Amino acid sequence: MTTYPVLTVTTFLPLLGAISILLLGNQRSARWIALLTTIATLSATAPLYWNFDKSSSNLQFVESVEWIPAWGISYGMGVDGISFPFVLLAALLSILCVSGSWVAIDTRTKEFYAALLVAETAMIGLFAATNLFLFYIFWELMIVPLFLIIGVWGGPKRIYASIKFLIFTLSGSVLMLVGMIALYQASGTLDFKELTITQFPTEFQGWIFAAFLAAFAVKVPMFPVHTWLPDAHTEAPTAGSVILAGILLKMGAYGFLRISIPILDEALQLFLKPMLIVSVVAIVYGAYITLVQTDIKRLIAFSSISHMGFVTLGIFTLNQSGVEGAILQMINHGIISAGLFLCVGMIYERTHSREIRDYGGVGKLAPIYSTLLALFCLAAAGFPGMNSFVGEFLIISGAYETKMWLGTMAIWGVALGTAYIVWLYYRVVMGKTNAKIENLNLELSAREIATLAPLVLLVLCLGFQPDLVLSYLHAPVTELLTTGGVTQ
Amino acid sequence: MIGPELADIKLLWPELVLVATALGLILSASRIRKGLRASTVTLVAGCASILVYRWPLAEGPRAGFENMIVVDGYSQFFKVLVSSALILIVLLSARRVETDNVRAGEYYALLLLASVGMMFAVSSTDLIPLYLGLELTTICSYILVGTTVEKRISNEAATKYFLLSAFTSALLLYGIALIYGMAGSTSFEAVASFLSDTEGENSKLILVAIGLIVAGLAFKIAAVPFHSWAPDAYEGASAPIAAFLATASKAAGLAVLGRICISAFAEEAHLLSLILATMATLSIIVGSVIALSQTNMKRLLAYSSISHAGYALLGLLPGTPEGVSATMTYVFVYVFMTLGAFGVVTALGRRGERIDGYEGLARQQPVTALLMLIFLLSLTGIPPTGGFIAKFGVILSALNAGYFALAVLAVACSVISAFVYLRVAVIMYMKAPQVEETSSYPLMVSTALLVSALVTVIGGILPGVLNFWEAVPQ
Repeated sequence: MTTYPVLTVTTFLPLLGAISILLLGNQRSARWIALLTTIATLSATAPLYWNFDKSSSNLQFVESVEWIPAWGISYGMGVDGISFPFVLLAALLSILCVSGSWVAIDTRTKEFYAALLVAETAMIGLFAATNLFLFYIFWELMIVPLFLIIGVWGGPKRIYASIKFLIFTLSGSVLMLVGMIALYQASGTLDFKELTITQFPTEFQGWIFAAFLAAFAVKVPMFPVHTWLPDAHTEAPTAGSVILAGILLKMGAYGFLRISIPILDEALQLFLKPMLIVSVVAIVYGAYITLVQTDIKRLIAFSSISHMGFVTLGIFTLNQSGVEGAILQMINHGIISAGLFLCVGMIYERTHSREIRDYGGVGKLAPIYSTLLALFCLAAAGFPGMNSFVGEFLIISGAYETKMWLGTMAIWGVALGTAYIVWLYYRVVMGKTNAKIENLNLELSAREIATLAPLVLLVLCLGFQPDLVLSYLHAPVTELLTTGGVTQ
Repeated sequence: MIGPELADIKLLWPELVLVATALGLILSASRIRKGLRASTVTLVAGCASILVYRWPLAEGPRAGFENMIVVDGYSQFFKVLVSSALILIVLLSARRVETDNVRAGEYYALLLLASVGMMFAVSSTDLIPLYLGLELTTICSYILVGTTVEKRISNEAATKYFLLSAFTSALLLYGIALIYGMAGSTSFEAVASFLSDTEGENSKLILVAIGLIVAGLAFKIAAVPFHSWAPDAYEGASAPIAAFLATASKAAGLAVLGRICISAFAEEAHLLSLILATMATLSIIVGSVIALSQTNMKRLLAYSSISHAGYALLGLLPGTPEGVSATMTYVFVYVFMTLGAFGVVTALGRRGERIDGYEGLARQQPVTALLMLIFLLSLTGIPPTGGFIAKFGVILSALNAGYFALAVLAVACSVISAFVYLRVAVIMYMKAPQVEETSSYPLMVSTALLVSALVTVIGGILPGVLNFWEAVPQ
């Protein structure tokens, strides 16, 4: 076994990096410190990988220290098969965020990388928290650095976007705060495991479910509280979009898996139907809206709504393949949308335009870029051999198990998804070269290729060998679906 | 009856230190030319009063002066809090006293005496010393608010504050008189036993008396509908004095309310809970909504302090020791984060008074901006700052008392106040600077800022440290 508290180190190493950037770094060294910190953080997760017991549904690498004795709240860290992949994903994407911002961020770099590292602490901590109190703290801690990243380093409408992001997420999370305090008041504990065993009255559960739903639905984002997403994703700098799409959106879905399903199992039955309907609406409506976008970044942002609709659909089918598919798809979407946003960011740095009509014929100017973009686009469309094919397949088969029409609607969503992404690729990469970009050097540098390479590798690996993630999920998902009172 | 013993004077170590210093300053006021000397003396006195706070507690909680003053963990907690606020305010005053041509000896003597008044109020177990303590504080505060004689706005603020405050002091006194008329005594113990014996007689008169006393105290903590003096007084006063009113004065008022709730009026907990819930609801709504439209930083903080008074009152709703302890945590954190925010206003001088003045602060003074961000986040109640822990405790109390809707309202209003506070953050971080760089500020001011920030952050990361201190009155 390992000799040091892996999860605590992984979580707080980035914070340490942020502090040292603020204290020691100058504008130049900040990015090096950030890069080293994020790489060190990913390396620190190695013991998790080697010693993880896939057959167990229990929390592993548990650390527990008494924290607030008066309230009986402890500082608890631990991962199971569901949260473990997210810890890795967060650590990996953080590195790519640093290298993706290497030249793009040229003002106030010190503060930027400090904010990025604080966000990394919040991301990893959230997935490693074993009690609701800690979960909430990391949940809220996430908001502040992202608010600054969007508002300070974002695009032209950044202030509007950052305030909108803040107000939406905060409105949801304060209701979660009341829900959390009410749970605590009713049971005297905030530990996930203990809350799962506690039985709450059905009506009480309904209120709490609604309170948590407010927070999770905004983060996912579910229809109709998705409107902050396009603004925030579009205006954020590349690294901000990557974190938003790659991790932040998953926090809400993860909340459903950690809290709503196991703890509020009776209320779940009440909310199940509306949740499924809203998910399907998000898939189809999101896809149609995506079709008409003229801004590349906004298009990808809107596609997230549709993709996250698949995730919530899978979660609320409440069967093994649906839930496993949803979790796999969360990872997949994290990888693919990170790749797409990085690709858009890289070309934006050269052309300073996000309008689709300013592009065309990029393929002739930048063959490597176009190949990589094609790969991410195909993956987003759910092309066989790519990672999200497996995820979507599992979700849709889960949906068919629940209700015929759910699966059919989801397939419709896949068709639309292929349409908008292929059409985007067609308009940007193929056709006649646009005069505006003819004289620019659009090809990627070695640093940029290195940034995208891990994602490309993951897209293909998980496409051909989805068991890399799925093997972690079997035990905890089975456990979730049985203790969650779902199989009655 | 046993007369007051000389030995009882030992209960008052912290007060004695401050009174002696104040008298010394008054006697030598005409000879004090340098503000620095007077402020150093005051600082030493403040630190000394913190160091001696445990002496009277050596043999456990004790009452003295014919049971009019009690020294227990509760009173000493607030005495330390008042002294810490005093120390930070003296640090913040360093520059104002020099530039505004304030007579240093009198200024610091008044601050010391006002603190002594608060200390008496928080350890009173009788309505008369309670009243005397609060009056000593307010009378000193009138003068402190109007201390910048040359500024008309400062005089106006002092006059307004005086008129309204005198009126509510009269209400408080009237309430005390009614209670005395019915119970035949002003001591908390006698009032409590009177209330438990009455069984429905005089219930209207009791309602009036309690209402008047709570109204008088609500004025001190600037809870709606007794809040209208706060924005004007804060705007007219210099920033450190505004901070003093917003923190120490409010802390003492809440401490007194807390003690009254669970000792003297414990029998009427239900009625009291209703009155306090109404005031809390109004304060939270009015404070956060009106703050939206403010352009002056001190007025904004005044409305913020009104809504925070509402949040702090939530802890008193259940009338239980746990609830009072939640209010104690809230007050503790509130004092430091508000002092910090006022500290930044002070540090920036004239620029800090207007919200526009913060434009581009993050570029010109990144450290100041970061500290302000911490204070603002804590005021909003976002973890991992102390403000979150404090808010968690009081909302838990509100739920314990069965006020579910009020809890939801409280958090909903915290979104509104988030908009208020983070608007300042937006201005600091996302706007280009308009004002040219101001000169750096003295070491004393930055010390105060750092201390406040440290307490705010540590309060959030290690809240156990706070719990350790808190002792609820028996």
